[in-house]
Amino acid sequence: MYTTPTPAVQVRGLRRRYAGFEAVRGLDLDVPAGAITALLGTNGAGKTSTLEVIEGLAPASAGEVRVLGLDPIADRAALRARTGVLLQRSGFSGDLTVCETLRQWSGTLTHPRPVDDLLEQFGLADRADVRMLALSGGETRRVDLACTLMGDPELVVLDEPTTGLDPESRRDVWRLIAGLRDHGATVLLTTHYLEEAEALADRLEIMHAGQIVRSGTPTEIAAGHPSTISVRGTVGLPPELGRVVHEHGHTTLHTTTLQETLTDLLLWAREHELALEGLEARSPSLESVFLAIADEPILEGSFA
Amino acid sequence: MTRTLHLARWNAVLLARNRLALVYAVVLPLLPVLLMLSGTRGDPAVGASSITTVLLVVGLFPVYYNVLSQFVNRRDELVLKRLRAGETRDGELLVSIALPGAVSALAICALVVPLSQLLEQPLPVNPLAYAAGVVLAVIMFTAFAYWTAAWTRSAEAAQLTSMPIILLASLGPLGAALADRSETLSTLLNLTPGGAMSELVRTGWFGFDGPGADTVTLAFADSWAPVMGPLGIMAAWALVAYSLAARSLRWEPRA
Repeated sequence: MYTTPTPAVQVRGLRRRYAGFEAVRGLDLDVPAGAITALLGTNGAGKTSTLEVIEGLAPASAGEVRVLGLDPIADRAALRARTGVLLQRSGFSGDLTVCETLRQWSGTLTHPRPVDDLLEQFGLADRADVRMLALSGGETRRVDLACTLMGDPELVVLDEPTTGLDPESRRDVWRLIAGLRDHGATVLLTTHYLEEAEALADRLEIMHAGQIVRSGTPTEIAAGHPSTISVRGTVGLPPELGRVVHEHGHTTLHTTTLQETLTDLLLWAREHELALEGLEARSPSLESVFLAIADEPILEGSFA
Repeated sequence: MTRTLHLARWNAVLLARNRLALVYAVVLPLLPVLLMLSGTRGDPAVGASSITTVLLVVGLFPVYYNVLSQFVNRRDELVLKRLRAGETRDGELLVSIALPGAVSALAICALVVPLSQLLEQPLPVNPLAYAAGVVLAVIMFTAFAYWTAAWTRSAEAAQLTSMPIILLASLGPLGAALADRSETLSTLLNLTPGGAMSELVRTGWFGFDGPGADTVTLAFADSWAPVMGPLGIMAAWALVAYSLAARSLRWEPRA
């Protein structure tokens, strides 16, 4: 899938220090061109601090960042015309209408797409003359995304594009982002919705305490993590099947060989004429990987 | 340049949609002209004090207070942050916010020339010095606005944080009204932004020669020397305010 050899974004040894703490601690990241990469992490993992450097909004305290082969700060003018950024929180003047807001943004761009096309594409045509302060959160976000994509960017950086949106708007945004990749754009987004990352991203980069701790496709990342089999109630399962945990009124069995363990369990149950209530078997999910990472201790320094 | 004018146009639209801000920017600065209706018609002393007041109010409202509140408001709304994430440069944002008020200020300062002639006041003795003074006043108050914005939390807070500059600027013209003031006090007051503006109007427009004068005596040629002092003082204030602003400007609301 990653046909272009040079990554669209290349980060080496990035550090960002604030007064009391270090939010990004020697981060390495490659964002392949033409694909969707999701930067995942708990709150405070350093996602936004990393994006700000890639977007050229803040200087790095240390390390190297190349975006489309350019320096985000030194080559600002050339780079900004080729990138589209969506910040975590939208910012618009409440007294301008949707159409006026898009016209205002359009005038700041080198190669803007027609405002009418964007109103149509983002389902805002019937809201064109409504003032921004009267819009719902989802509509405001759509206007913001329209601004992000108005210049037909090669690289799109989206900081939590769907946070606070209702499920339907989220699906719309997902379709849009997938469409960007289909048109050859590179997308780098942050999210803390795991299902969003699983559904959308070709590649995941999981951040924890200012560093990338896992990267790969969703399948690669989940591989090697234990599958689980759970049964309602406290059941005395034979320990030779795997690690058994009793919690929240369930008995859970952890195993790396799901099929064999499940077969053994079912045979054992028949032999003992036991009904396993609420039986569930699950392959390793991104969620379990993520939770395991979030629990990992932070090794160096303190994290304020 | 195109981008700056484009953004300035939308800032003007926003200004026009805010009734109170519009009154501050356009109507209020014209009111001091009415002062010329008081006292003896055509008395240059009355003319000088009313033109000084026009210049002061123009500096304080369409420029200073307007730029301060627009900037703080846009910062609170995260509009500045959003625009900075695009192609727009910081300088373009700063100039585009200042432009609508500056245009209003320049237009009013031009308009008062025929208006005061209508009220039997003399034309400026040195129109170039007057024009330079107006431009410097606009630059100086814009810089004061951005410096004040650095330590203003919100648009409401601007009502309070703008007081020191409003007082500093008003000191000179207020002090001029004092009947007997000492030499030192006069010198000090002339060093304030408002004092310098007052001196500029007295010498550059009305050709008053010296602190107590109230008749037109200077001609165009000999008005140059006395206007240099006030112009220099205004330029110095503009520089100080600009460097303070450049050091402390914030683009995002405080967390």
